[in-house]
Amino acid sequence: MNVGFIGLGLMGRPMALHLAKAGHSLHLWARRPASLEPFKAVDAHLHLSPAEVARHADVVFTMVADAPDVEALAFGEDGLASGARPGLIVVDMSTINPNAARQIGAELAAKGVAFIDAPVSGGETGAINASLTIMAGGKPEVFEQVKPLFEKLGKSVTLIGDVGAGQVAKACNQILTGVGVMAVAEAFNFAAKNDVDVSKVREALLGGFAYSRILENHGQRMLDRNFKPGFKAWMHQKDLRIVMEEAHRLGLMLPASAATAQLFNAMVGSGMGEDDSIAALKLLEKISTPE
Amino acid sequence: MKIGFIGIGGMGRPMVEHLLVAGHCLTVWSRRLESAQPLLALGANWSESPTALAAQCEVVCTNVTGDADVAALADQLREGLAADSVHIDFSTISPALARLIGERHAEHGVDFVDAPVSGGTAGARAATLAIMWGGKAALAERLAPLFACLGKTVVRVGESGAGQVAKACNQMVMVAAIQACAEAAHLAKAAGVDFAKVQAAMLGGSANSRVLDFFGGKMARADFAAGVEARLHHKDFVTLMAAATRGAIPLPIAGTVMQQLDVLMAAGFGTQDTSRLLSVLEQAARH
Repeated sequence: MNVGFIGLGLMGRPMALHLAKAGHSLHLWARRPASLEPFKAVDAHLHLSPAEVARHADVVFTMVADAPDVEALAFGEDGLASGARPGLIVVDMSTINPNAARQIGAELAAKGVAFIDAPVSGGETGAINASLTIMAGGKPEVFEQVKPLFEKLGKSVTLIGDVGAGQVAKACNQILTGVGVMAVAEAFNFAAKNDVDVSKVREALLGGFAYSRILENHGQRMLDRNFKPGFKAWMHQKDLRIVMEEAHRLGLMLPASAATAQLFNAMVGSGMGEDDSIAALKLLEKISTPE
Repeated sequence: MKIGFIGIGGMGRPMVEHLLVAGHCLTVWSRRLESAQPLLALGANWSESPTALAAQCEVVCTNVTGDADVAALADQLREGLAADSVHIDFSTISPALARLIGERHAEHGVDFVDAPVSGGTAGARAATLAIMWGGKAALAERLAPLFACLGKTVVRVGESGAGQVAKACNQMVMVAAIQACAEAAHLAKAAGVDFAKVQAAMLGGSANSRVLDFFGGKMARADFAAGVEARLHHKDFVTLMAAATRGAIPLPIAGTVMQQLDVLMAAGFGTQDTSRLLSVLEQAARH
């Protein structure tokens, strides 16, 4: 299959390489030519614009930072829409606002292009190991066509619902992980301030109802004071901004998400944006320790 | 081992049963004799008072509701307990009270162990509780066979009170996760998306947790029958927020969750499951 891929960063690069390894013919464009270096050794066609990629591909994947980037790729000058053949499928694996995804889907549909929103969970490690969790939104018949490609990238692939539903699931995921990281950081700071061995607390809690992947993995990195990303705090801040935008649009009360979003604001504001989101622990320590 | 046990409700009864099966000699006391009958039928002995029970046993376990119950029982038990006997309290109480009881017991040569548990009635029945205990390290060997009958994760966290600190951490992490599940379900439903599918997708990823599996499932099915009654989580949050205030320890998420539990109680959901936190959000959005 001719597969386009745009967005060859930490996540996109290993994902595109998995698709090449599976025997697909890659069609690439990148803002920075350096991003294309790792693809010289595989079957990849390099193009001068997103429109050129769309012209040659059956399916185009995008993996970029936010909704304006996806919109620019799709509808900007020499964007995907201007080069698309009828029947093209655009799969956006970025994390963006669900409502923005619905609008992009509707605009592409008007031009005869199918759209799937398919954000992922699992981070760079998941991308490298092809063990991502993929949450998709779109028409079932379109999903079936791209499912074999998804299965080269992740081990848990779920069609949640119509276009936008994948982003809703991802927003839910970020509520759980964001609040989860913050709750573990609070608990560890609470234990430390009570002069109790935090590693023992984590060990005990892992056996009970407080068990989570966050407590196990992020909790261990907090104990090791390893704040290297991982998943950067500014990205979690962005994802919680999306959650709160949806809460605002729909008139929803999401109190724990709101408090968590505020704490991520404080992390980014106090210079921890490039740290892993577990730097939440450093923030709590900072605000509960005398100068 | 001659073991006394006070507090034979949903958690305590299966714990006593496991100890009987393991061949220990059990004596129980409760306010109402009827509640003890099923255990007496299995071979447990009955005692007329906590003090009398304490006088017959080398280890006495208590598993009751809150600070006031444990404080009252501890005073009665101390009158009966011989030197070198041990009082194990499985209840969830404040770390400060646990430390205080530890000091008072020590004056009489009695060891106090705070050993709160996590895992709920299901964990008690299956003997898979997580037991987090605080007390003298030297007691570990003596108590290991008893704890082994009840749970599969047994961790000595530190000195007296440390078990309750760990339990407070457990409740913070767990109930914050229930609240996060409720918010995720609320967002998914409002966007017209099937939360059961969202939950299934998330269980495969970094958001996986025991809470997402159990409470997320209850929310997807709108099954609000307790599990653990929400009023008990509310009580735990009252205790831990008081400890946070005393220690000037900022807990912004736990504070927010406490507010939602307050609304849950005011709405009359206290005897139902804590997954009712979803209903609290939905009530606020109702016209």
